[in-house]
Amino acid sequence: MGAVLVGVFGMAGALLRFAVDSWFAHREGLRTAVSPSGRLRHWPWATLTVNVTGCLIIGLSIGITGRLGLAPEWQTAVATGLAGGLTTFSSWTTATVRLLSESRFSAAALNIGANLAAGFAAAAVGIALAS
Amino acid sequence: MTNARVPHWRAWLAVAAGGLAGTELRYGLGLAFPETVGAMPWTTLAINVTGSFVLAALTTVWMARPQTAFWLRAGLGPGFLGSFTTFSAVVFSSDQLSRAGEHPVWIAYLGLSLLLGLGGAAGGWRTGRLLTDRLQGDRAGTAP
Repeated sequence: MGAVLVGVFGMAGALLRFAVDSWFAHREGLRTAVSPSGRLRHWPWATLTVNVTGCLIIGLSIGITGRLGLAPEWQTAVATGLAGGLTTFSSWTTATVRLLSESRFSAAALNIGANLAAGFAAAAVGIALAS
Repeated sequence: MTNARVPHWRAWLAVAAGGLAGTELRYGLGLAFPETVGAMPWTTLAINVTGSFVLAALTTVWMARPQTAFWLRAGLGPGFLGSFTTFSAVVFSSDQLSRAGEHPVWIAYLGLSLLLGLGGAAGGWRTGRLLTDRLQGDRAGTAP
């Protein structure tokens, strides 16, 4: 039961992340179509969005499930499944290495700093809201 | 024009399948190698470093071979590896460790996650490059 719940929530998180990825890719496509000069270059906004949202969800999950009187497997489903599936570590590191390979050092540093700072802040907000 | 950039249903299905498999594998590894409260989360660290290496390697291979089916890239990349690795657990564990006063542990955890995660991705990037170079070299070599 617990494993099924985690899997279904993880699948939902992955689909949500893919939807956010596709939406940002679509917007970038529109912008480059408008300005072919290439001045607007890729930056992993989609990963930042899902990572910060997932940190908020994992923070919320700890207090909310207890308050709603839900069984502990629901907390695992939301924290490990939904938040775990929605957020991604590998895309974050790979995008950073890609920026470094293009010698975009400040963009790479900003990618690391923004995800960590906003992620910790979102988790703290989630914990504070739920407790 | 409305649906031109919305991914094909096959890609969504592959992401769902990959997301399910990646999440279950991460969950299963957590059960097999449980993490103790107040200690370094080694299982999550190993998952994130491995996932970073594999995704970076696949990304460089796919950049060299853009003809790879989109549903396959979506299912393995954002689907499987995206769900296998996790950012929220790193942040949440670090937050809990710092609230418990385990400052050396969370600083080491965050530092190792960054160092080994980026190192893994850099290693994967290089490995992918070497692999595609070799594949292309072989093809060039066998061509008449």
